[in-house]
Amino acid sequence: MRTLTLLGLMPFLLVGSAPARAHAYLDRASPLVGSTVASSPGQVTLYFTQDLEPRFSKAEVRNAVGARVDHGVSVSGSVMRVGVRTLPPGTYHVSWRVLSVDTHTTEGAFSFTVGR
Amino acid sequence: MPSLLPQRLAVALAVAIAPTSTAVAHCSVGARFFPATLNVDDPCVADELSLPTISRFRNGDDPSATELDLSVDYSKRITDTVGISVGSTWVRLRPPGGPTVSGFDNLTSGVGWQFLTDASHEFVMKAGLDVDWGHTGSAAIGAAPFTTLTPTLFFGKGFGDLPDSAGWLRAFAITGQVGYSVPTDASTVTFDPGSGGFVTTANPRSIVYGGSLQYSMPYLRSNVVDLQLPDFFNHLIPVVEWNLETQVSNLDGGERTTGTINPGVIWVGNYYQVGLEAIIPVNRASGDGVGVMAQLHLYLDDIFPNTIGKPLFASSAPASGRPSFGN
Repeated sequence: MRTLTLLGLMPFLLVGSAPARAHAYLDRASPLVGSTVASSPGQVTLYFTQDLEPRFSKAEVRNAVGARVDHGVSVSGSVMRVGVRTLPPGTYHVSWRVLSVDTHTTEGAFSFTVGR
Repeated sequence: MPSLLPQRLAVALAVAIAPTSTAVAHCSVGARFFPATLNVDDPCVADELSLPTISRFRNGDDPSATELDLSVDYSKRITDTVGISVGSTWVRLRPPGGPTVSGFDNLTSGVGWQFLTDASHEFVMKAGLDVDWGHTGSAAIGAAPFTTLTPTLFFGKGFGDLPDSAGWLRAFAITGQVGYSVPTDASTVTFDPGSGGFVTTANPRSIVYGGSLQYSMPYLRSNVVDLQLPDFFNHLIPVVEWNLETQVSNLDGGERTTGTINPGVIWVGNYYQVGLEAIIPVNRASGDGVGVMAQLHLYLDDIFPNTIGKPLFASSAPASGRPSFGN
């Protein structure tokens, strides 16, 4: 019975003893994913679930006609900041692709709207 | 002196199940993550371990026996797109009025090639060959005394490439599989103690087909709209699976189509997922009443990214090269 108990707990032991590394996924963003904000944000901030490798992590922001409106990306730990120009009312598309410190690549995209 | 083992186990358990930030892992195709489904295989090759998968149901025997299955499945990538797997299941049968029997079912193995991965359309395909190895299981629980080969085609498709106007529908995804099951022996001869003679039973060839419909709350939050739900809900993927088999030749005289439908939910964490599904038989030959299955599934590529969690022959890191958006 003890052997069976240990066998059942083994997966938890494996997980519990693992280093704190995994795929980096978007935990939240500012502006919020799919949200409408009243005025132009000064930047788009992406919060990931793991630390990123800055050299291999990118993001961009495009307007409704596909023109880029971002200028510069900075990465600190698990946070990526994307500078944007003053955004007139409209819908904007954010695309990101990042490399976590354990070498897994992930990507995603979302939109937000600046209120009209 | 009392053993410290219980305390250590308790600490390890507490660390393991402590709340984690919203994250998914593993079979990722573009922005889409396909979880490991419980009853049908997912469309990717992977480094993962299902330990255990537990199923309890009343099987299709007449009269129906109460069956408990405990399974383990291990998958290993050889390269980024080629992987192998091996699995084993311990079975306990309790027929009404009869003795309880138990033993291991036949060993299973598989090899798969993930030959198409289209990130922009969240579309992936895999070709595989699954083998159920005859004579490796216990005759007492009915393990087949012959080997069965099943070449199978798998696919997965997320609907994140729908226009933004589709809104919440973009969080849906489907997976599917279709295979052709070929026993290596056309028939099986067994001794019937009742008649004192031998009985020959045909081993039919079958089409095996299944799939899943999934709704990804992690995808909804990260790619469509952040509803600011409690964190637990952002980890959930409600799912309906179906897994069916239809005899097409060398029929055995029984019900031609058998299978189950499995509605449930999968909770996805950083390093593991937990799934719970009902087992609903499609007809009496598939079972009697509703059963249940549960699974703990470990993402070895996230737990051990630099050792057993990476392909034996990996492409040069980073895996997908420098990120690029074209301009």
